[in-house]
Amino acid sequence: MESFEYAQPTGLEEALTLLAEPGTLAQAGGVDLLDRLKEGLDTPKRLVSLRKVKELSGITEEAGGLRVGALATLDELAEHPLMRSRARALAEAALHTATPNVRNQATIGGNLVQRPRCWYFRSDDFHCRKKGGPVCYALEGENELHSIFGNGVCAALHASTLAPALVALGATLDLVSKKGPRTLPVSDFFMPPEREVTKDTVLEPGELLRSILVPLGEPTDRSAYQKQGQRESYDWPLVDVAVWLRLEGETVRDLRIVLGAVAPVPRRATAAETLLRGKKLTEALAQAAGAQATQGATPLAKNRYKLPLLSAVVARTLLSAERGA
Amino acid sequence: MSKDPHIPLTRRGFLGGAAVTGALTIAGSAEGKKPGPRILGPGAALLRLQVNGAKSTVMVEPRATLAQVLRDQLGLTGTKVGCDRGSCSACTVHVDKKPMSACLLLAVDCTDREIRTIEGLAARGTLHPVQAAFVEHDALQCGFCTPGMVMSCAALLAAQPKPSLDEVKTAVSGNTCRCGTYPKVFAAAMAASGQAVPPGDLVIIGGHRDGDIPKGQLLLGQGEGPLGTVARSIPKDEPPAWPENGALSVVGKRTPRVDGVEKVTGAARYTFDVKLPGMLYAKRVTSPHAHAEILSIDTTDAETAPGVRAVHVVETQLEGAKLQGAPKLGDKRYPTVRYAGQTVAAVAATSPEAAEAAAKRIRVRYELKPHVVDVDAARDPKAPLVYPTAVDMGGSAGGGGAARGLAQNGNVRGPALTEHGDVEAGLRKSKVKVTGVFRTQVQTHSAMEPHGVVADWKASGLTVYCSTQGTNTVRDELCTVFDLPASKVRVIAEHMGGGFGAKFGARHEGIIATHLSRKAGAPVRLVFDRKEEHQSGGNRPSTVQTLTLGASEKGELLAVKLESFGTGGIATGAGVGAVAERLYPARSFRGAQHDVFTHASPCAAFRAPGVPQGIFAVEGLVDELAERLGLDPLALRDRLDADELGTIDREARRLERKLGAEAMGWAKRRRPGADPGRIKRGLGMAQSIWGRFVDMGSNAEVRIHKDGGVEVRSSVMDLGTGTRTALALVVAEELGLTPDQIAVRIGDTDHPQGPASGGSKTLLSVTPAVRAAAWHAKQKLFAAIAHRFKTSPERLLASGGQISVEGQAQTAVPFKKACAFMKTGEVVHLAKRAADYDGPPRGGYGGVQFAEVLVDTETGIIRVERVYAVHECGRPINPLAIQSQISGGIMHGLSWALYEDRVLDRRTGRLLNGTLDSYKIAGAKETPRIDVVLVEQYVGRTNTDVHGIGEPANIATAAAIASAVHNAIGVRIRTLPMTPAVVLAALAQRGA
Repeated sequence: MESFEYAQPTGLEEALTLLAEPGTLAQAGGVDLLDRLKEGLDTPKRLVSLRKVKELSGITEEAGGLRVGALATLDELAEHPLMRSRARALAEAALHTATPNVRNQATIGGNLVQRPRCWYFRSDDFHCRKKGGPVCYALEGENELHSIFGNGVCAALHASTLAPALVALGATLDLVSKKGPRTLPVSDFFMPPEREVTKDTVLEPGELLRSILVPLGEPTDRSAYQKQGQRESYDWPLVDVAVWLRLEGETVRDLRIVLGAVAPVPRRATAAETLLRGKKLTEALAQAAGAQATQGATPLAKNRYKLPLLSAVVARTLLSAERGA
Repeated sequence: MSKDPHIPLTRRGFLGGAAVTGALTIAGSAEGKKPGPRILGPGAALLRLQVNGAKSTVMVEPRATLAQVLRDQLGLTGTKVGCDRGSCSACTVHVDKKPMSACLLLAVDCTDREIRTIEGLAARGTLHPVQAAFVEHDALQCGFCTPGMVMSCAALLAAQPKPSLDEVKTAVSGNTCRCGTYPKVFAAAMAASGQAVPPGDLVIIGGHRDGDIPKGQLLLGQGEGPLGTVARSIPKDEPPAWPENGALSVVGKRTPRVDGVEKVTGAARYTFDVKLPGMLYAKRVTSPHAHAEILSIDTTDAETAPGVRAVHVVETQLEGAKLQGAPKLGDKRYPTVRYAGQTVAAVAATSPEAAEAAAKRIRVRYELKPHVVDVDAARDPKAPLVYPTAVDMGGSAGGGGAARGLAQNGNVRGPALTEHGDVEAGLRKSKVKVTGVFRTQVQTHSAMEPHGVVADWKASGLTVYCSTQGTNTVRDELCTVFDLPASKVRVIAEHMGGGFGAKFGARHEGIIATHLSRKAGAPVRLVFDRKEEHQSGGNRPSTVQTLTLGASEKGELLAVKLESFGTGGIATGAGVGAVAERLYPARSFRGAQHDVFTHASPCAAFRAPGVPQGIFAVEGLVDELAERLGLDPLALRDRLDADELGTIDREARRLERKLGAEAMGWAKRRRPGADPGRIKRGLGMAQSIWGRFVDMGSNAEVRIHKDGGVEVRSSVMDLGTGTRTALALVVAEELGLTPDQIAVRIGDTDHPQGPASGGSKTLLSVTPAVRAAAWHAKQKLFAAIAHRFKTSPERLLASGGQISVEGQAQTAVPFKKACAFMKTGEVVHLAKRAADYDGPPRGGYGGVQFAEVLVDTETGIIRVERVYAVHECGRPINPLAIQSQISGGIMHGLSWALYEDRVLDRRTGRLLNGTLDSYKIAGAKETPRIDVVLVEQYVGRTNTDVHGIGEPANIATAAAIASAVHNAIGVRIRTLPMTPAVVLAALAQRGA
């Protein structure tokens, strides 16, 4: 790890001023950041620690739902009573991410902006397309863990396990920079590689993710998240799925199905949603939606297995959401 | 002085912990300055930390992690670093009472937080309940992950005093224990919270094997066990036979390990923790290319880099096979690069950071050559050649099939042929034939303590601290390489964080560290990081085996034909052992095993080299043969095992099968694939075989001091199996003491030569010498003190902590007091390992494992619910440690069967999953219920009757799981690991 300066602002304005300087990187929990620094993927002149920036912490209830500060830890999300009861997909996603130690340290903001886990990208040995290099090594290489959708340019997956849940719940992000604040839905946050392959999100230089508004919807809304890793102990998902359901009696009035770990950005399974909207969710329909969710996939040489896996996890997550357990 | 905990220094590059000479410059938000953000670094800054209730001040750069500061600055080396990436939780500390990974935290982020490390867990010398429970339940083996594991459990109990078993598993779901001690961690955590321990039996079946009585000096008549009586022919000078374990006082009792407290408190010192005055840190320069010639190496810049004290360029081939007849490099100055990660040069500097920076300043020019890392592609005659001509390699390779002088065709070396009878005729005669192609993957050892060495070259001699399984083997290699007499080289391995076969010789890093130390005139530490460990620490070779079995209608095995190709990278040793020939001897056999060279790192011996691979094929196919013969798999094995050609104890294994079948409900086993539903349950089994090896270079010395102190000394080391405790038990038994009264001095070549720890031969090699030394020392003691008892030495007895005249309890004197009767300061006896006593030939050890699995047919996920392991174990010295070792072997096998797979990029030959994040090892939540049954089987060949168990524990597991998977889904999977991709493909093929 190269040397760097360390700055610890205590307020948002101060932080934004520091982050406006070139060569700086923001540090929240620092989990993914330290990994990249140790591997030599990033060599910032200065880290700007956000730990003491009070505007970024806390989970509070407001009119539109729960306002989650970017520094809220995964453990806080997983343990938050209202999150567990009214935004269960997010609490479950937080609970099933990383290790217990990491959950005590990692933040929702860091989870959203962490860089992909692609083993070519993560290794200093490969100057891949995502790093500005000429090729995507995974496309013709060892791609068992890579994307099965939207992988024409770069096969890396977005790494956020919270993102599918946030998209499913219809969360919006509150971004801020010296130029001022802006809000956008989480679904618009991630950068498709065909637009700009070296970036993972639409965050501008010097811009900071301040908070996330998680709508709580109606009390009868339901949501669920399921992750299928190779291991149940600490592991990344092979696929993960988040579902949000708005029920009217037994009828699905509205829903969102969001697929993780299969594409460079969280992917809405819109065709599968259409299949279910206005219907009673049965096991057979859930299976059909699972099958539908794989439509349009372009699996690579070694990751075709993700198709049946995805179908199964979509169906299971739908049923889990419907059951509320 | 400012109240601000951060006082930056102007001096850059300060991390090594040397004395501070630079002036303090106060900057940032210190008092008196204009308000603004605190800015530190990049040079060292003064930080105040709260660690274990005390305030500490350190001077470090902002880039220093909490783990580095705790270990290097504060000397709190109980916090281990296993991966440095937050994936293994070995460095777990409590930060404001919450468990966190110290490797993921910057120390500057911790100045306002309360840190507690493993050293601060025990309050005023009293173990924390979790620590006490870990010792009592033997929830540790090598101990390297133990501090982290303890801290995780302690944090859980603080938050949740009565956790459920599932909560315990979740709490340690980020902790990697490569020894596989999870079941006991669960038990310890539950016990520490005052709850019942989870199920998982340890049963000892007292059974004595029949034996001939060649000379008939002594017959042990305790023939009540199912295996009958044992006879032994005891040479002169050997101690008398021990009775069965039930009649002994400490041997055979479940004994917490004698170094348990050291390990649960973080006090145990590993090579990883060694810090000598003036010690330098080495960093290797490795080739990023898989195949290249080195044109030049320019070290000028590195030599003048800050902090650099020595640079070493590798100019001899240090790894892999050697060209036949051309051991020299010829006119080449540098060895050919044959794998990405091969060491090219190394530097030693005053800090790890300085070494790393300097290593980057060594400029190497390569001429790139084509490479091949895929085993199938490497067999193509047109594939790039790893070696230009035929090669040979000594015995430290990964498995069988490494005979010298074999033919070599392209990258394919061999075959190593084994043959008896006419296998083609046997196959023609066979009414039933089954054949299959079995593929197994490369597995890295991934010991939690990486390979590492601290070499200290002085005029008076070389001292080397080494994370090794063989202190003497390291010494001997260094003596050869550096032309030093054995008397001038001392190798120390006090505690060691796992080896599993990959840590025997000095290896290239030991040689390089020694070169650097000699050049620098200072001790040099060279320890791999996790990626280097995956890359260069050794591995279990891959295999592709084509196996055919031919049998008569009655199930008589007429022919076994094996052809195998495996790759151990640039090393030989990718064979699959002799199991196809020996597990079930057939009337005819032909085995042709080949090494396929690839541009990949060299393999190393790995827990039963070659054998789990071989068993995976043989037992898989025997199951299929049973199906084709319409026989129950157990019934067929009853028949095959009964063959008189076998070397296994047939009665013992029949008993083992019976016990397992009863416990696991074999009679109710469904037909393959008959379980309805999407998640299918299956039950399977497989058998193991392992040879009986003895290292005759096994000596031990026992000293009894006049003050009653007792020492046992041998250079054998304890790699986490409990050798230290076993030696204490044997000496204590002989002297009528308790194990805590014995000082065990091991892991140091200054002691009498002991065996290397490996081959499942450590205790069976050394305990007979230990017992003989103790017994003879006792005779010397008796001779020295008999006059005070007014009797002859032969009539004295040491038992229950006392010495008395036989049959006269009133004469008893406490041991300590009796020792004081000596006129000299001590009695000493050095004993060597006696040859095995006469008797009929003993082939190897058998064992049977049963596995119960759930297979999710939609996701392809396999979950092992339970493993029932029944093993012959000779005379168990410490059943608690044997149980731990068997659990560990099972976890290794399970992890290999389902998860582990080293991935190299075919295009570049580079390692892709060199982390504990992407190289997947089974963890807490993958741990099944494990039941261990030990069948006592005293073979009467030594004075301790010890068998080996480390390797037998690992051999059958993967095959048993594969057998259970077939029973669940009705499809035979012949490729490891059985990942969702593999399982779903197999199911799809059946569906199609």
